[in-house]
Amino acid sequence: MPEHQDLGAELRELAGWLEVAEPADQRAAVRARLDRPRPARHRVRRWIIAGVAAVVGTVAVVAPARAAVVEVVGSILRVAGIVPGGLPERPSPLPSVRTAALDEARRVALFPVRAPAALGTPEQVVLADPDDAGAPRVVTLTYRGGAVRLDEFDGTVSPAFFKSASDAQWVEIGSGPGIWLPGPHAVTYIDRDGVERTQTARLAGPTLIWTDGAVTYRLEGLPSLAEAKAAALSAG
Amino acid sequence: MSRLDRATELDDAAAVARARSGDLDAYEVLVARYTAPAHRAAVLLGAGADADDVVQEALVKAYRQISRYRGESGFRPWLLAIVANETRNLHRSRHRRDGLVLRAAAREDAEATSPDPAESAVAVERRQQLVDQMRQLDPRDREVLVCRFLLDLSEAETATALGVPKGTVKSRTARALAKLRGRLVAGEVPSA
Repeated sequence: MPEHQDLGAELRELAGWLEVAEPADQRAAVRARLDRPRPARHRVRRWIIAGVAAVVGTVAVVAPARAAVVEVVGSILRVAGIVPGGLPERPSPLPSVRTAALDEARRVALFPVRAPAALGTPEQVVLADPDDAGAPRVVTLTYRGGAVRLDEFDGTVSPAFFKSASDAQWVEIGSGPGIWLPGPHAVTYIDRDGVERTQTARLAGPTLIWTDGAVTYRLEGLPSLAEAKAAALSAG
Repeated sequence: MSRLDRATELDDAAAVARARSGDLDAYEVLVARYTAPAHRAAVLLGAGADADDVVQEALVKAYRQISRYRGESGFRPWLLAIVANETRNLHRSRHRRDGLVLRAAAREDAEATSPDPAESAVAVERRQQLVDQMRQLDPRDREVLVCRFLLDLSEAETATALGVPKGTVKSRTARALAKLRGRLVAGEVPSA
């Protein structure tokens, strides 16, 4: 047996035997993130919520401590597993957020950007997580002074959002499946580069998530399911 | 920080000073210099496959908080404090400790390089034991051992990285080593 006297020295020796993968070169990514102007604090909060289009939901069905993860991949909603609930401590905003006019959003997005007629004209249109050509992965429309927002997510790419909610309900929107989350929930967005961005969820209001074709929609802020459904259906 | 490092074109203090005034090129020098140690720390502290994300987040946050950097114990432990924090947050938000600190400690090729296969087999087993027992430690005990021995930080650097007084590092290190030693002894009994 080896000598156990100096455990510290043994641990130092152990350090050389540990497997540590090659680190990614962070220069470009860090530079890109720091180059972007940082929005003011209250703006960040709003955009956090605004930008949170939902593709993956966590739904507590049995007990509050157990929440089933519901994944939305393209037009498919599926239950992926069980995770404990809990809210992240430090929110980080969606990548590369900028505002645009609705018709510009429609022009640059690679998916149909819909505006529910029932909600009127959006007050603000926010584009997030653009690709190299500037096509956003997420488009957010806000209404009623920001109290109501519709996130539209290009759902043809891999699962992008995780959510945790204390309760949820399966619903039908048109012919497709949807989820109604009446309570607050935690949301995590995984950006194009696979970087996970944890969103604060305490402010997230009632939310309806549904998919249409390859696009996933997340409508937040309407108090009742009936109202949210009507708005969703008016997005035509 | 070694003297050699100080002698390089832009030392940490100068890079920090410039980064503070918004010089992203200067900050990039720090990013290039400390990505690897930050990544290693993240992995060993338990970030597992998320280590690169943790590092990127930490590097971005470090830049934004750079006005708070005082430079008492160097840029590396200061950055590692942010890395450690991010790693803890990862655990908190996910309720799991992914890719726990130490994996694949014992490499097969060890046997090839050692002149005595029997001895190296013992060494491999011993390392595996150390890893297993480290994993079982209380996170606070493990953190201090990771910093002090696996990352080879000084007591002062460990104090900065973990955000605790130096005296706490001293006492916690002694306690953690004692616990680990106890676990190792206990672990030897049934493995006859």
